[in-house]
Amino acid sequence: MTDDVMRFFAAWMLTHEVADEGLKAAVLRGDEGGTEGMSGGADAFVDGLAAMVAEEKEKLKRDLEARARGEEVAIEQPRDPALEEVRFEVAELRGRLDNIESLLETLLRKLDR
Amino acid sequence: MASRSSVIVRTVLAHLAAALPSARFGLASAPVRRAAWARGLRRAFERLGPAFIKLGQLISVRPDEFSDELVAEMRSMQDAVPPLPAEAIRSVIEAEFGAGPDELWATFDDEPLASASIAQVHRATLASAYRPVWGETLPAGADVVVKVVRPGAAASIRADIAGARRLAGLIARTRLARRFDPVALLDEFATTLERELDLRVEGRFSDRFLFDFRDDPKVVAPRVVWPRSTARVLTMEFMRGWRLTEIEAAKAAGVDCFGLAVHGATAFMRQVFVYGRYHADLHPANLFVTPENTIAYLDFGIVGYLTPEERMNITQVMAALVYRDADRAMRYSERLGVHVPPDRIEAVRAGLGTLLDGTTRPDGTRDFAHFGLGFLSLLGEHGVRIPSGYGLLIKSLATVEGVARALYPEIDIVATAQPFTTRILGAAMGDPARLRERMPEAVRAALRVLLA
Ligand SMILES: Nc1ncnc2c1ncn2[C@@H]1O[C@H](COP(=O)(O)OP(=O)(O)OP(=O)(O)O)[C@@H](O)[C@H]1O
Ligand SMILES: [Mg+2]
Repeated sequence: MTDDVMRFFAAWMLTHEVADEGLKAAVLRGDEGGTEGMSGGADAFVDGLAAMVAEEKEKLKRDLEARARGEEVAIEQPRDPALEEVRFEVAELRGRLDNIESLLETLLRKLDR
Repeated sequence: MASRSSVIVRTVLAHLAAALPSARFGLASAPVRRAAWARGLRRAFERLGPAFIKLGQLISVRPDEFSDELVAEMRSMQDAVPPLPAEAIRSVIEAEFGAGPDELWATFDDEPLASASIAQVHRATLASAYRPVWGETLPAGADVVVKVVRPGAAASIRADIAGARRLAGLIARTRLARRFDPVALLDEFATTLERELDLRVEGRFSDRFLFDFRDDPKVVAPRVVWPRSTARVLTMEFMRGWRLTEIEAAKAAGVDCFGLAVHGATAFMRQVFVYGRYHADLHPANLFVTPENTIAYLDFGIVGYLTPEERMNITQVMAALVYRDADRAMRYSERLGVHVPPDRIEAVRAGLGTLLDGTTRPDGTRDFAHFGLGFLSLLGEHGVRIPSGYGLLIKSLATVEGVARALYPEIDIVATAQPFTTRILGAAMGDPARLRERMPEAVRAALRVLLA
């Protein structure tokens, strides 16, 4: 969801890029904010946000250019986090099964004695 | 039990007595005296076993609460515990698997790699390939370590917690403690130790950590070999690298310590703010920098958990620290369960303001430990109960700062957190639930900049 919002801002920014000098200044300030940070209060915070959107915008621009060149869009589609989470949980379950299986082997070994 | 208590007291007294000559029977200068006592205590702790060694480690990462002499002594104990003979370790393995090391691994090194408070660690190699929960398959012959809980550790730890309470009182009276409550520290310590005794809990967390940091090639953790693990034996990938106590060697080998300090601090912030689970036992022996310029996290024995709600409130407290905004810090601490009685609010706010102004070091960097631990003791002075999770987090942050500073003394941990808190607050603005709540404000702020 958050990604969508960022992507929306990014698209908005991309279309306005040429026109908006104020925006560029904000991004610049936001980028520099890495060290100066939020000490400037809420304004600096918004600058930071603008810089984040700018990052996203660069990605979007690369996508669009790739598409214009007719390339298969090679950018790693950010995978669905929910799906990734499930994938991990299944893997974790497999780990537990491996563990239980070895416990069974141990029990069998002990019975054999 | 009574006899164990008297063993504890006798051991400590004997080692302190042995320190008397070097302390010139109390006549030496204060630092010399303190160093002698500290050495005596360290030796007594080593003699007394796992619970005390663990307690010593806890002391070693709290230079803000204990004297320099005691911290230095306890640090030398961190990873150096007299090793157990291989026979004792082999018999634990035998009891756990019904088979000996030679049947379970391709090779097993009888010489321990490390002998720590709760476990002893041996090197081995895998007999067959294993596909771990997350990450690449470990091939047959892969280097692994086998972490084995010391026999009798569980029983002796439980028994010693009781005894350690007395000793905590004793330390409090030796002026080795600065401004903390050793008994409270011990309570917290007792609850976390219990969990540490089942190594599978640790293994699962290592898997989870690998998953959480799957997109960050600079942060690594050992992959766990589940078919060769039980409650008392954990087999995992061998990590190559230098401990933070061997940082000079790492620098000589060309490791980018500044980059790693910043990255490591950021990784910790990510654990806290994004995932809500964090490594809460980051003493310098539990963290490696590797020749590949990555940070390896080890030993997930103690872990802290935070709900999304708590994470948001903590982000706000961090932002308050950045803005030096005492009101904000008070408001969001309240939501984290720090309830200041109405008649104390003004006094606490004033104290907080002073703290926030005093967090800058002479070199211009900010001192989180000064703020965090100062805040805790400020609350303590006003009789405010501190929720245990809050205490653990602040102490962990202070530890991370200490660890990062070991890598790179000039690092400003608050500065490394800044772009990060900005991001979190920014991302939270995009969260639909919060958007509805904050839309007008967010839109106004965004428009102000975008249309400037
Ligand atoms: N996967 C690993 N690869 C390389 N070395 C390891 C690994 N795991 C542990 N070690 C070494 O063994 C030491 C002790 O391991 P670990 O910290 O896991 O044990 P512990 O008993 O929980 O220690 P602690 O004293 O911190 O409680 C580590 O400091 C490290 O030097
Ligand atoms: Mg350790």
